[in-house]
Amino acid sequence: MTTLADNPSTQTKNGRVVAIAGPVVDVEFPPDSLPEINHAVEMEIELDGTTSTVVAEVAMQIGEGRVRCVCMKATDGLRRGTTVRNTGRGITVPVGDAVLGHVFNVLGEPLDTDHIDGIEDHWEIHRPSPAFDTLEPKAQVFETGLKVIDLLAPYVQGGKIGLFGGAGVGKTVLIQEMIRRVADQHGGVSVFAGVGERTREGTDMWLEMQESGVIAKTALVYGQMDEPPGVRLRVGLSAVTMAEYFRDVKNQDVLLFVDNIFRFIQAGSEVSTLLGRMPSAVGYQPTLADEMGVLQERITSTRGHSITSLQAVYVPADDYTDPAPFTTFTHLDASTNLSRDIFALGIFPAVDPLDSSSNILAPEIVGDRHYAVARRVQEILQRYRELQDIIAILGLDELSEEDRVTVSRARKVQRFLSQPMYMAEVFTNIPGIYMPVSETVDSFEALVSGELDEVPEQAFLNVGGVDSVLEKARQLQGE
Amino acid sequence: MASGRERILRRRIKSVQSTKKITRAMELIAASRIVRAQQAIAAARPYVTQMRKVVADLGHDPEGQRHPLFRQPEETRRAAIVAITADRGLAGAYNSSVIRTTERLIREYESTGVDVMLVTTGKKAQNYFRYRGRAAESFLGFSERPTFANAREVAAVVMRAFEQGEVDTVNLVYTRFLSLGSQQVTTRQLIPLLREDIESSTEADSAEDSGGTIVYEFEPDPEEIVEKLLPSWVEAELLVALLEGAASEQAARQRAMKAATDNADDLITRLTRVMNRARQDAITTEIMEIVGGAEALRAAGRADEAPLISQTGTAA
Repeated sequence: MTTLADNPSTQTKNGRVVAIAGPVVDVEFPPDSLPEINHAVEMEIELDGTTSTVVAEVAMQIGEGRVRCVCMKATDGLRRGTTVRNTGRGITVPVGDAVLGHVFNVLGEPLDTDHIDGIEDHWEIHRPSPAFDTLEPKAQVFETGLKVIDLLAPYVQGGKIGLFGGAGVGKTVLIQEMIRRVADQHGGVSVFAGVGERTREGTDMWLEMQESGVIAKTALVYGQMDEPPGVRLRVGLSAVTMAEYFRDVKNQDVLLFVDNIFRFIQAGSEVSTLLGRMPSAVGYQPTLADEMGVLQERITSTRGHSITSLQAVYVPADDYTDPAPFTTFTHLDASTNLSRDIFALGIFPAVDPLDSSSNILAPEIVGDRHYAVARRVQEILQRYRELQDIIAILGLDELSEEDRVTVSRARKVQRFLSQPMYMAEVFTNIPGIYMPVSETVDSFEALVSGELDEVPEQAFLNVGGVDSVLEKARQLQGE
Repeated sequence: MASGRERILRRRIKSVQSTKKITRAMELIAASRIVRAQQAIAAARPYVTQMRKVVADLGHDPEGQRHPLFRQPEETRRAAIVAITADRGLAGAYNSSVIRTTERLIREYESTGVDVMLVTTGKKAQNYFRYRGRAAESFLGFSERPTFANAREVAAVVMRAFEQGEVDTVNLVYTRFLSLGSQQVTTRQLIPLLREDIESSTEADSAEDSGGTIVYEFEPDPEEIVEKLLPSWVEAELLVALLEGAASEQAARQRAMKAATDNADDLITRLTRVMNRARQDAITTEIMEIVGGAEALRAAGRADEAPLISQTGTAA
């Protein structure tokens, strides 16, 4: 990988720009020094009297000594005939402890300061995924303190977790909540990749991390909405590279947050046609599965050191069969689906308890009791969903005695799955609650076994465990 | 891609449609049965009216009041409740309001330390109370077309309990059929016979023929007549309650089924709209795919001949 990087400029000759199509540029090189795919090339742009360097990455070789490149900066001002330097290696980013506490762009340049001291190494962002025999599948629960997630779709230590949701149902809030919940008490380091989301949110998070002090063991890599597609396509890899260094060289457990993985696919789709590929299903790039695989396969745990990743996934038009969320889904160990219907009920986090899933919700891993309670909760909710049409047509009076009990419990379960969140404290004035898994299981067991049948359903909204339910019920009665 | 959603919606619409067919049919059947139920009430009326009149006359006789069915208990230790519900559901709130009223009455009694003996007619009440583990004497199978024989069966149980001193009072919970549009759950004491009750019912009835109270000579003596007559009076009252219940059941069912049919219509309209949108989405996506694909192929063809042309327009 790094053989060429040792002496980059001696063997390579310069080329020149022959065609420009937005972020995609064709460059002609002498036949004997054609740059390899994924290698970086550089060119100067002069616009309004200022000169800047544009880095581009070779995406394909199109014959006759030409390569087609994707630029990491806007190409305004670039001319045909401009000299192009071949760096002889891929884009590199700084890695090591020095990156912690800083914000970077896709090229590894710090955004919060001019210079960072003591950088140990630079790594290329394109790296092979870990070999088959070094993978170490773990099956250990990763506690989040959120009832709905810990009970029904528990996260995997060292696994990949997706947070799916349409526009505006709370993906970003939930991922920030997760950073707050897990990054704080996490022993290792965290890497956050901001891919094509709002720059404002990125700034907010950076400021918040400084306040809470998490920033000291976190590196942030941003390639937000304002950046060209080339950046959004590669910023994820930059972040993964930093995480990999911590895992492989520093032997640490790493948390990797990505918001939003859909923007990565979207960027790929933006450049795909310009690269001359025929669009595939729903207009996505034909290489969708491959691009996703290359990124996701690197986010794994090896030889005792883990990367636990949490990825927000935007679901276009709330359609889960869309190729983008669908392709992402296949890589995940656990998925949390946010639902608009539940959001509309005012239940936060708006996690769909039936569509969310986890590989490790099995009796061998979470224990028989947890498994039984989780299944029972799902059964009740499933039954409620089936009965919804009947209730809509015939009314509640026509249900059998058993079903009526089920419905009343299901409504309580639905409300009980809500929980005050730290991130929402500023809106609701209710402080966030952390629920240990064991208490979650106990509480739901009491609920589904009918111990709380007498408690009114409003008492279950935005509370912690059974005790706080009873407390709220007393309050309601007092009013 | 979205065709999966369309298929699910189509299936759901179909299921709602078949539900609607059922509710519509039940609405029509219930409508036609109300008439018959009303006729049955009308047919029973002359007998009951006459019976009430005679009992009222007897009630004026001090001899007649010695009958056990007139006996007012000094204190109530055990009470019986007769609840009249339907065998079948899909009758809106008909069953549940009777059951709710019964439940309330039971709670009232039990909070004052009175034991309750429960007698129910109709499967719905039976299921409800059995599910809650409360023993009840149940009668089934005649809620829609009760006959005098059915009334007699039920009356026999409560009268026996009363005569043997097992209960001190018998209450009746049923739905009064006031008109097609109005039915009312009513609770009243059946045994012991209340003086006011008899008088008020005769007053209402006697207003029609305005004959006033006639003083009869009784042969054989009043005691013997009361002996025979009072059980029949209880039976007649029960029959009326059963008949009114049956009519109320049908009226409630018709209303409930009409509402259900309307709800189903609404649901179908809503689902159809969602489905049409899903289908249109799928079609639009497919057209975009085809157009995009064709465009890309054409662009690829052009690219073979000429180099890529700048789209930014800034390349000189």
